[in-house]
Amino acid sequence: MKAYLAMVRVSMRQLLGRKWVILIGLVALLPSVVMVVQTRVSAQGRLAAEFTQGPLLTLFFFVLPLTSILLGSLVLGEERRDGTLSFLVLRPRRREVITGAKLTAAWLAAWAISGLSGLLPAVILGFSANVWRMVLPVIVATGLSTLAYVGVFMAIGYLTRWAVLIGAGFLFFWETGIAFAADSLANISLFRIGLTAFAGMVSQAPALLDDAMGSLQPGAGGAIAKCLVIAAVSVGSISLLMRRRDLT
Amino acid sequence: MTSGPARVTGATVEVDKVSKWFGQKVAVSDITCSFGTGITGLLGPNGAGKTTLLRMVTGLLAPSDGTIRVLDKDPRRHPGVYRDLALVPEEDAVYGFLTGREYVEYAAVLAGAPISSAADAIATVELEDAQHRPITGYSKGMRQRAKVAAALVSEPKVLVLDEPLNGTDPVQRAHLIAVFRDLAARGHTVIVSSHVLAEVERMADRVLAVVDGKLAAAGDVAAIRGAMSDIPYRVRIDTDLPRELAAALMSLDGIAGVAFEKGTLMVETTDLPGLGSSLPSLARSLDARVTQFEPEDESLESVFRYLVRRT
Repeated sequence: MKAYLAMVRVSMRQLLGRKWVILIGLVALLPSVVMVVQTRVSAQGRLAAEFTQGPLLTLFFFVLPLTSILLGSLVLGEERRDGTLSFLVLRPRRREVITGAKLTAAWLAAWAISGLSGLLPAVILGFSANVWRMVLPVIVATGLSTLAYVGVFMAIGYLTRWAVLIGAGFLFFWETGIAFAADSLANISLFRIGLTAFAGMVSQAPALLDDAMGSLQPGAGGAIAKCLVIAAVSVGSISLLMRRRDLT
Repeated sequence: MTSGPARVTGATVEVDKVSKWFGQKVAVSDITCSFGTGITGLLGPNGAGKTTLLRMVTGLLAPSDGTIRVLDKDPRRHPGVYRDLALVPEEDAVYGFLTGREYVEYAAVLAGAPISSAADAIATVELEDAQHRPITGYSKGMRQRAKVAAALVSEPKVLVLDEPLNGTDPVQRAHLIAVFRDLAARGHTVIVSSHVLAEVERMADRVLAVVDGKLAAAGDVAAIRGAMSDIPYRVRIDTDLPRELAAALMSLDGIAGVAFEKGTLMVETTDLPGLGSSLPSLARSLDARVTQFEPEDESLESVFRYLVRRT
């Protein structure tokens, strides 16, 4: 456990200690900026509905995927390419412990940024309209979607240096394009996992969320199960690859 | 084939008919050898297959053929073996954002060693003064010592060092050699690769020479040096008085030839230590300034090739 926590701690420092994280942090303020604008232009009674449009969709369509894809892709991929992965592999630790710690680190780092990005507008909503019921769902939902993205892109990042580009293509062409146009493809979308959890936890989810979710049904239980499966498959497959393939 | 004993009794590391190829390229070809307590030098020119062999020994690469056992276990299947096996890699792969102390402590935690052992390991490599600075600001030699400290932190029974003296200055080099010798004296297995014979000679009791992925020779250092004695080294000497120095050098024993290449003096000698010790006084007597004295890799490679032909 001590080794696992040490790996998580060092990996988080590695991920969050970069200069461009400041840029990501600024981008993560976008939902809050949108929420502030809405408090100025919308009636107080409409602010809860407005929250699930501008700020929430900015968060789930853009900020969260971008952050999670970047951090997930780098967490193992960069170590492999820099040669530091051998430092971890040459220790008396199972590969699953190493990849599990890496997944945890990237998830916590991505969740910290995305969670705050969602929490701030929810708090602004709370103070502006005395509506606090968005706070917990937005934290849970961002936690789930970041886990899904990080799980998938940690594996892709381990295999190829083009993971971030692949992630951008997946986000902008598939998730916000094709999967939006064809409801039945919404299943293969990672931010929608979080949205279904959010919709399942918030009573009276607005119609716009239904459009964004496509054919998916609201519910936190299914979303949690999906994310856990993605995380387990990611850790299992990368550990297997580490055992079977050369570490060059 | 080897010219000496490639295997030892009471081996901690067994390499049995091991080959490794990457696509069409054969990096290691049918090597059988073993390593026991003490220092064993793995000598060979750059690209000979030393690093590939060491990476297989440590389990980072899987042999394409043959088997490797470290402390009676396959390192690729039993990560527990890394409690007693450590590698100091040649490449500069370190976490630059950590301080030297944090880096070594991290290695201690991952190895399951007490965190207090980090301070001892840092003291062993004499890195105390820089231990609280980020590694990113370290010189090559300091990084090298930080890597050695991270490997020493768990007191591994088998320590594998890939070109560990690269980038270190003569004082650090002497100190690290003393550290490795001390470890060996305490019954540890130390495997050290180098492409510089003189380095290996200072460290190792036993040498395995690898050329073109094959084991070319094995035995004690004297035997290897003896096998090489009739092959001249090529040495590059940069000086402001090349012609005068060339004429003076011809009077020395063991000089097989002197030539000029693009203004640089190229000397062939069968007595490299003799040339090294005579050159300063010779240069002083001529009032010549020598700015470089460097045995060429190429000549070492030709020596290795010669060994292969002999075996």
